[in-house]
Amino acid sequence: MLRIENLSLTIRAQREEIPVLHSVNLTVGRGESVGIVGESGSGKSMTLRSILRIEPDGSTVTGRITFDGTNVLELSGEPLRRLRSHEIAMIAQNPHAVLNPVLAVGRYLVEGMHDAQGMPTRAAKLRAGELLEQVGIDDVDRVLRSYPHQLSGGMLQRVVIAGAIAGNPKLLLADEPTTALDVTTQAEVMAILDDCRRELGMAMLFVTHDLDLAAAVCDRISVMKDGVVVEDGVPDQLRDNPRHPYTRELMASRPASIAWHGSKGATA
Amino acid sequence: MMARIFDRMGVLGCIAIGFIGIVLLAALFAPWIAPFDPTVGSVTQRYLGSSAVHLLGTDQAGRDIFSRLLWGARSSLTGPIIVVVVTAIFGTGIALIAVWWGGLVDAGLSRVLDLLFAFPNLLLAMLAIAVFGPSLTTAALALAIAYIPYTARVIRSQAMRERNLPYIRSPQLQGISGTVITMRHLMPNIAPLIITGATINFGFAMIELAALSFLGLGVQPPEADWGLMISNGQQSLLNGYPAESILAGLCIVITVASLGYVGERLGGRAAAGRKA
Amino acid sequence: MFIVRRLLALVGVLIASSFLVFAAMYAAPGSPENFLVQGRTVSPDVLAAIRQQYSLDDPFLVRYWNWLVNVLQGNFGLSLTNRQDVGELLANRLPTTFMLVAMAAILIVIFGIGLGVIAGLRDGVVDKVIILTSNLGFAIPTFFAALILMSIFSVSLGWFPVFGSGEGFLDRVWHLTLPAVALSLPSAAVVARITRTSIREERGSEHSVMAVARGVRNALVVRRHVIRNSMLPVTTIVGVHIAGLIAGSFVVEYAFTLDGIGTLLVNAVQRKDFAVVQAIAIILVAAFGVMNLLVDLLYAAIDPRVRGVRA
Repeated sequence: MLRIENLSLTIRAQREEIPVLHSVNLTVGRGESVGIVGESGSGKSMTLRSILRIEPDGSTVTGRITFDGTNVLELSGEPLRRLRSHEIAMIAQNPHAVLNPVLAVGRYLVEGMHDAQGMPTRAAKLRAGELLEQVGIDDVDRVLRSYPHQLSGGMLQRVVIAGAIAGNPKLLLADEPTTALDVTTQAEVMAILDDCRRELGMAMLFVTHDLDLAAAVCDRISVMKDGVVVEDGVPDQLRDNPRHPYTRELMASRPASIAWHGSKGATA
Repeated sequence: MMARIFDRMGVLGCIAIGFIGIVLLAALFAPWIAPFDPTVGSVTQRYLGSSAVHLLGTDQAGRDIFSRLLWGARSSLTGPIIVVVVTAIFGTGIALIAVWWGGLVDAGLSRVLDLLFAFPNLLLAMLAIAVFGPSLTTAALALAIAYIPYTARVIRSQAMRERNLPYIRSPQLQGISGTVITMRHLMPNIAPLIITGATINFGFAMIELAALSFLGLGVQPPEADWGLMISNGQQSLLNGYPAESILAGLCIVITVASLGYVGERLGGRAAAGRKA
Repeated sequence: MFIVRRLLALVGVLIASSFLVFAAMYAAPGSPENFLVQGRTVSPDVLAAIRQQYSLDDPFLVRYWNWLVNVLQGNFGLSLTNRQDVGELLANRLPTTFMLVAMAAILIVIFGIGLGVIAGLRDGVVDKVIILTSNLGFAIPTFFAALILMSIFSVSLGWFPVFGSGEGFLDRVWHLTLPAVALSLPSAAVVARITRTSIREERGSEHSVMAVARGVRNALVVRRHVIRNSMLPVTTIVGVHIAGLIAGSFVVEYAFTLDGIGTLLVNAVQRKDFAVVQAIAIILVAAFGVMNLLVDLLYAAIDPRVRGVRA
């Protein structure tokens, strides 16, 4: 469904060209969950952003990103907008930055459904409530009326998830959706995200620095370092037989106590 | 050295620095380079055009405009220098006292600053002039008092931040005196703020002092001063002899713009949010 | 609650500053009665009578108190130079100043914010030209701009009157156009710059980018996320600058010889007419304070975060 081929990206900062991605290759099948794991600055977020064509101004992108057969890099105008509103949704790292601080939470959800997806305002308002219930929020009315600064990060991220699944997209792009949250709510939000995705049969491209987390929710994982995919495979294979030294390093550096698949533990 | 300045300032910045340099030289050496006495004219020499004798012509009193511009650079610079120096010393002093003693002293000082904030700058200056009579010194000191709150506030908040950092705290714990800590550790860290503040204040002071001279409340005639020249030349300008007003005005505009540009390149802090 | 607290603070500042102004005038070198007789030689009896008439022999605090009570009743006393009622004098002058400031404020909002938004949204030449113009505009003293405008549009082209404030609304607008342009120039330049920076920041903000990523139309993102949010800091700056116009108007009024408060103040300062100076100072400080208060209230109204903290 999604196929990234030879994706390279350079951003320009103060007249200097900084290469960020080098020939990245990646695929996500229908309903599949794929993880990108790497440390910060490895280019994993930038890969996600270039799928929706929201890379920083002045960047040069080469290669191909095809979604259901069309090259995203050649899209513009209405077709690109449709891709963003109906086909692919993104969940970013910091929900406090994603929601406009001067607009109430309800407006955020209505904006996505009414202004982007073309649903009538009244219907969008009703649906906003249902969506919030779906992501496990009890006092829906209060949350809808609240402003972003009045809610916790965990609560807001649920709102963002609700907004992302509203249009029933085929693909979810999740960019470290729990990293900015309180440790106590991380697992809960992650569970909500994973449940929603499975229930609605959406594919997911999941970016994280946490190999264990990726292994828990992903069918396949690509390991990225310095803008290059150094290794990819199914979680078990990466664990039992990491080929690239960097993957081994990642494996070694994670705390043994929360090693994946519980009892098997880390081997390093 | 030159290359470094160029790198930092760019083409426009270098031109700006060049102009500031020329103005400084003019102010310093006016008595030696000015071809005529700026305050003495002759009725037979009124409104002359530019010539080899009078480079930029003469004004309505027959005085040499070029000489008046050179001498005008003196009062037009000394006023703002007084403002900037007084503001920097007292602003910094008040801020450091407030931070060091804290508590009631801090609260009391910030009440006083609030009171000063309640007066528009020019109004405060005009009140002082009403009381003490019009002169450049009165105007400059009054403006300095009006500017102190801004400087004090910026430096206070920075010093407050620095004070709580470990490197300031630890010598304090070792029993070194407050003055030593202030001089050795705090000053180097707030110095850039003081300098940026000074460049911003300088531009404001130059314009506001010129305005006071224009109103007849600053530099007094027949003294040469750019602001005064603009107002002197007002009637001539309307009668079709624009040289005096326009040239003096341009001197102010270019000097202030140059300083603003250099200051911005140095500190990056825009002169925003100031009452005019 | 917030409003009440701010109003009380404003009253406090007004009382303190009125005391400051009164004390400064009291401490001024030279005695007022000498000023009143203006150099004529008069007998000590006449001097005593004058001191009696103006209550100059009362203790300082008593005089301050009497003055303050009178001011609160709208009685600002008599001008020392021409014996006119100061309140009346001010009432005649206020409309011109008010209108000048209002027109300049409108110009600042339209041109300052307008050009700033354009520069912020466009890249390249338009942006550079606006930046350069605003850099220069900021450095032009209002009275210099006044002279230039006057010589071009009044003297050479004859489009606008050279001096005076005009009669009736439209005539007034016509008379005050050039002064208002001159007065608004530096502030409009600063506002344009701040607006541009603010727009640029909001363009790169995560909520704007994510709105685009969600498929919201560009025009709507610009309106709802970029422009709307960038106006938060701009509001404060615009407010501060409009409050600052109150003082800036002195100079422009004087340059165009308009019969506003500013010219009155300048003349009063030149002639040491303390009754007038005091009255104008108090009124201006009050106007300045009220303006700044309004800005804060407006800010609280448009930014829910501020509202939340203070509610």
